[in-house]
Amino acid sequence: MPKRTMQEATFLILTALAAGSQHGYGIISDVARFSEGRVQLRAGTLYAALDRLRLDGWITIDREEIVESRLRRYYRLTPDGTSQLATEATRIQSNAATALARLDVTRGSAE
Amino acid sequence: MTDVDDLERRYRRWLKWYPTSFRREHEAEILGVLMAIARDGQRHPGPLECLDLMSNGLRMRLRPTLSRSERSASRAVRLLYLGAVLELVAAITILATAGDIRTSEVSRNLRYTDAQWSAVVADQLEPVALAATVAAAVWLGLAWAIGRRHRSARIMLAVFLGVNVYGLFNGLAQGSAMSAQADLAIGTALCLVQLATVVLVFPKEFGRLGRLRVGRRSNRDPSLRTPAP
Repeated sequence: MPKRTMQEATFLILTALAAGSQHGYGIISDVARFSEGRVQLRAGTLYAALDRLRLDGWITIDREEIVESRLRRYYRLTPDGTSQLATEATRIQSNAATALARLDVTRGSAE
Repeated sequence: MTDVDDLERRYRRWLKWYPTSFRREHEAEILGVLMAIARDGQRHPGPLECLDLMSNGLRMRLRPTLSRSERSASRAVRLLYLGAVLELVAAITILATAGDIRTSEVSRNLRYTDAQWSAVVADQLEPVALAATVAAAVWLGLAWAIGRRHRSARIMLAVFLGVNVYGLFNGLAQGSAMSAQADLAIGTALCLVQLATVVLVFPKEFGRLGRLRVGRRSNRDPSLRTPAP
């Protein structure tokens, strides 16, 4: 059976964690930054995804800190999560390369 | 009470949509994120934030907590969702094909007046359709329980299979093969889906049974025997 495609929110969260461990607010800010403001994760969506990813063993809790009397929990990728992200990134890259190559051909023949 | 306390209290109220076990572990952490995102002077959560917390909280209460590696149980949950859909189709089929059943009964010289037929529909067909709707809810309940690893749900599923098989044979005894083929087809499909689900939720037991059968066959059939090293 073919594997299910990763949801965009999941892909972006894993991408944020690929640079190193981050806490919830850090992930939201990072995703907003590298998607150039296109994706604004909400707290509920983020924690539902983090919970799912932890259950699947793709991320794990790295450490906890108390900053200004508030709990910050840092998450990091597991080796399995790293491999899943790499597979998905390669798949997206391959599809995008095909699409761009075909668009070039279409544009070329139209000119 | 300050604006910050006010806002935090309101966020806490919206976080009640999440399961208690999740709140125990993550409430302080999510509150930290929500308060970090909040604008200066904000006293109320925004409508989209409320919707996000409510929908994700509900999703977390309902969704299976199985990991991707628990494939057998995940497939069983998907089959149970399919079962719920089939039960609803069965309920609709029973009511929609009532006319066909009447035609079939007439051809078997069992003539009904309109009043008698209405009584048959009200006394026999509508209760069965209602039971199928209730059964759809039971399938969904079992999907939820198996998705959350409640062991007793596996036993309930096996009992449920027994009840459905009994219903199927009872229907056959009353002539469903002649007068209600559509209902019989859906009933059979339901029993098969349920049987597959039972096999999936008892992987060890059925795995052992499978090995036992292969073992017996290999004793009889020399080609199935493991060659000696």
